[in-house]
Amino acid sequence: MSPINPLNPGLPVDGHLLIVGSGLAGYHVARGARLNGHVGAITVLGDELHPAYDRPALSKAFLSGAAAFEHLVLDDPENPLDVTWAGGSAAVHLSSEPLGVETADGTFHGADSIVLATGAQACRLPISGQGTFVLRNVDDAIALRGRAVESQRVAIVGGGFLALEAAATCVERGAAEVTVAAGEHNPGAARLGAPVGEAVRALHERRDVAFTAPARAAEVNDVPGGQELVLADGQTVEADIVICAIGATPSTAWLRDGILSLDPVTGAILCDDTGFTGMPGIWAAGDCAQWASQASGLRPVGHWQEAVEQAGILAASLTGIPPAPFQEPYFWSEQYEVRIQGAGRIGLADEVRVVDGSIETNDLLVSYLREGAEVGILGFNRLREVKRWRKQRQVRTEPALVA
Amino acid sequence: MSFRVCSLQDLTPGEGLRIDSISPPIAVFMTEEGEVHALDDTCTHQDASLAAGWVEDCRVECPLHESTFSLRTGAVDQPPAKRGVRVHEVEVDGDDVLVELSQDAPNLPPGVTV
Repeated sequence: MSPINPLNPGLPVDGHLLIVGSGLAGYHVARGARLNGHVGAITVLGDELHPAYDRPALSKAFLSGAAAFEHLVLDDPENPLDVTWAGGSAAVHLSSEPLGVETADGTFHGADSIVLATGAQACRLPISGQGTFVLRNVDDAIALRGRAVESQRVAIVGGGFLALEAAATCVERGAAEVTVAAGEHNPGAARLGAPVGEAVRALHERRDVAFTAPARAAEVNDVPGGQELVLADGQTVEADIVICAIGATPSTAWLRDGILSLDPVTGAILCDDTGFTGMPGIWAAGDCAQWASQASGLRPVGHWQEAVEQAGILAASLTGIPPAPFQEPYFWSEQYEVRIQGAGRIGLADEVRVVDGSIETNDLLVSYLREGAEVGILGFNRLREVKRWRKQRQVRTEPALVA
Repeated sequence: MSFRVCSLQDLTPGEGLRIDSISPPIAVFMTEEGEVHALDDTCTHQDASLAAGWVEDCRVECPLHESTFSLRTGAVDQPPAKRGVRVHEVEVDGDDVLVELSQDAPNLPPGVTV
């Protein structure tokens, strides 16, 4: 099959594929390339020493101790991918001629195609105490898991699902007080609608989680006997443990002033909707990248599902097979006994309607509409309905037409 | 030894029914073609009820992610789950759905115990 883009020659079937980043996107690009019949060498560079692992449990089952690291490992030990994993040395330089990546240990890794999948790193407050935790990598989660939480006061900065999952896990681990500075009155209300924000707040308040008045977090200071979180409106929260979950920023510092176009605000690598960067042989996927449909607001950024789908589309484009179409965006969260799942183009909605269930019974089902047409769904413990909605809207791959 | 878990009338074609009087719980599925199958209900990747999943082509897709399990063999096709679920022998006697539980050890996800 001829490549779609003349600048983009694709990967020879016996060529060397170099993947920079051993997270979810990097793993799935490698897996996809093998499934699509790539026989050449595949090398995956990672800056961590751990084998490629999955992150969702880091704020939930892994943090609570229910899951061990082996449960997070992406590769199947009984059927491992034929891939060379090179961990422990960060990429420091990308070159186009010759095509390759240099790592911090001075090694130059030449390649026929390069996929950048370096992910993102946790944002921190500009002024942050010694004991402030973040939750992005397994080492972050191990550090927090190693800290006794029982009978401690915990302050959590951030109102997204990561922050709220961390709050729930701290409650379950026996924290004396958990206070969330969510930045809005009902966490998630701005993005997911008022009923969802109310339900999330009620879910946590039933477990005695406190919420600060809405204000941006300013700084965390070490004070005698603990730490003090200071909000922009002057409120303070004293705590023994502070967890900062205010988002992540693409891990692309090493690409600054280089050969690729980066988003001027976020630093994300700009790509078309196949993951191609515009530089011959160089592609990107996952949290380090911003594909065209994300830049235009049609697709979300930072979701697990998005990284998996991008990796599949990229691997197909790279190996010259028709990529599977994008599906409806999807995300999920677990807080206490509640599974929250959302699907569709929730950001486009102009109306949010409660279809069934209630806040009190943890079974809320919410529909998102735009100009009267349903564009999204969100459920609390509504696994059947959300799955059905997604499958009924699944865009199936048409059998390839032979010209 | 087989025992009754539900009646045919309890089943909806294309859907699963969770039987949680058994530990670990099992899921009984009726395909659109009317075949009845029984599997362990819990996805091997994470604690989610396969009975709430999507049934198509004699497979059930986990309601949380995209792993699908064969209703005939329990085998899994793709990540995030790596291990299959147990299948249990089903016999339909008139209106009664009888199940003989597998003697194999269940493949439960981390954090879930019998």
